Amino acid sequence: MPRPLLEIDHLTHEFTAGSGIYDICLRVFPGEFILLAGPNGSGKTTLIRHLNALVRPSSGEVRLHGRPVTSDIVFARKTIGMVFQDADTQIVGDTVFDEVAFGPENLKIPRPLIREKVTQTLARMDLSHLADRNPATLSGGEKRRLTIAGILVMDPEIIVLDEPFANLDYPSSKALVGIISELNQEGQTIIMATHEVEDVITCATRIIIMDSKGRLSRDGRPEDLLGHLAACGVKEPCFSRMGYKKPPWQT
Amino acid sequence: MANLTLFTFCAGTTTLHRLDVRHKTALVCMVSLALFTSGFAGCLACFLVLSLLTRTIGISLPQLLGQLKWFILLLGIMFAARALTIPGDPVFSFSGIVATKEGLAQGALVAMRFFLVMMTGLLFSATTRPADLKSAAQWFLKPVPFVPEKQVAIMISLFLRFLPLILSQAGQTADAVNARCGNLHKNPIRRIRCQTLPVLKKTFMAADRLCLAMDARCYSEDRTDLEFETGGRNTLSMAAGTGLCLLMVGLSHSSFFKMIFW
Repeated sequence: MPRPLLEIDHLTHEFTAGSGIYDICLRVFPGEFILLAGPNGSGKTTLIRHLNALVRPSSGEVRLHGRPVTSDIVFARKTIGMVFQDADTQIVGDTVFDEVAFGPENLKIPRPLIREKVTQTLARMDLSHLADRNPATLSGGEKRRLTIAGILVMDPEIIVLDEPFANLDYPSSKALVGIISELNQEGQTIIMATHEVEDVITCATRIIIMDSKGRLSRDGRPEDLLGHLAACGVKEPCFSRMGYKKPPWQT
Repeated sequence: MANLTLFTFCAGTTTLHRLDVRHKTALVCMVSLALFTSGFAGCLACFLVLSLLTRTIGISLPQLLGQLKWFILLLGIMFAARALTIPGDPVFSFSGIVATKEGLAQGALVAMRFFLVMMTGLLFSATTRPADLKSAAQWFLKPVPFVPEKQVAIMISLFLRFLPLILSQAGQTADAVNARCGNLHKNPIRRIRCQTLPVLKKTFMAADRLCLAMDARCYSEDRTDLEFETGGRNTLSMAAGTGLCLLMVGLSHSSFFKMIFW
């Protein structure tokens, strides 16, 4: 078994209102595509914000390559790229190019290298033709691709996506699934928090379900957990309800 | 999608876009100062040059007037106030209100000057990226003691970046309130409260999310600095700008043009 990239040990984060996450234990291995599913308010976003020390736990620890993420926050944030749910408040650049350059500039990478990396990443995400555009004028799907490009340019080992399909239409969602799946096939570790698993469950290698009380309720292969999704507050994919193990068009 | 106005940056490759932002700032200051010492002839020369530049960056006159409509209304009020209050030779009178020749001329001149300053500002903001403004602010503030120039610069940059978003949120909130007949409230304090509090809440929440997103991408004040554009075009533009300013002042003080316009 390979060494885990990320280890979460008895992680608890309590809010004064009473909600939060409780006693979460997980191991994330290189190349995995993990779906973090659960109903609204189950603590998916809270959990992923702990992965690169954006928030501090009430108790427990997150370790990256065996070291606590809080011991080297810049390393943790460079290694774990995070794509937030609301693209509009994540985008800070005046143009698409500037937005992608924001991360490398924070890492004090020399300007010529930034130009090279940004150009490559824009080409990879099919955004080169939009390099001079104001991000506010992009479509929802383009904005989502831009936020992923802003992360990819920092060469992360893990990409964490928080509800990436929120506010996206069907073609944009489909295109996004293709991009994320391709990244995973290239060896990128993916963690995706979502309550809508239908679009992406066939690409995932593992599914983790959180219950409404912020506890980890199931962890396993998607095909094994398909029948338990509805009981855990997650919509069961249509093909599973029709009695298939995989979508008919994939068998 | 945030509403884009002419005062937001429009990407392009014109000379104005490629000028060093420090030179551009100096040019804006020079033209503004020259305008306030210029007469009609100088203002006309400036208007012609600015119109040409506005055209080259892809903004048409109707677009420009549409964006400045409220400002033009303000200028109209200023013009009327001057025309009706400055003593001189009466041109016409209505119900005891007299407009004078001197008042009309002064009003037109002041309105024209302010309009041209706005046009200059528009050209500057439409061709300058907030990131460049940030770098210029940082550069100008560097010699000032006790001023954290990097912090000030990033605050300016974020303000410019998020102003359209805040305005868009304010518009959405107003629509949501009005959709539930909020506009029927007679009490102005209640109306302001219904619209202001949700906008403030949304703005603070967006600011919070923005901080998290910036933190997640390792934001710190110690970043790769932006490079300023260098090259002969900056020197040429400064020379052309200085020439225009001298022409504006010279025209306004030449007796021939004074005779024509007065």
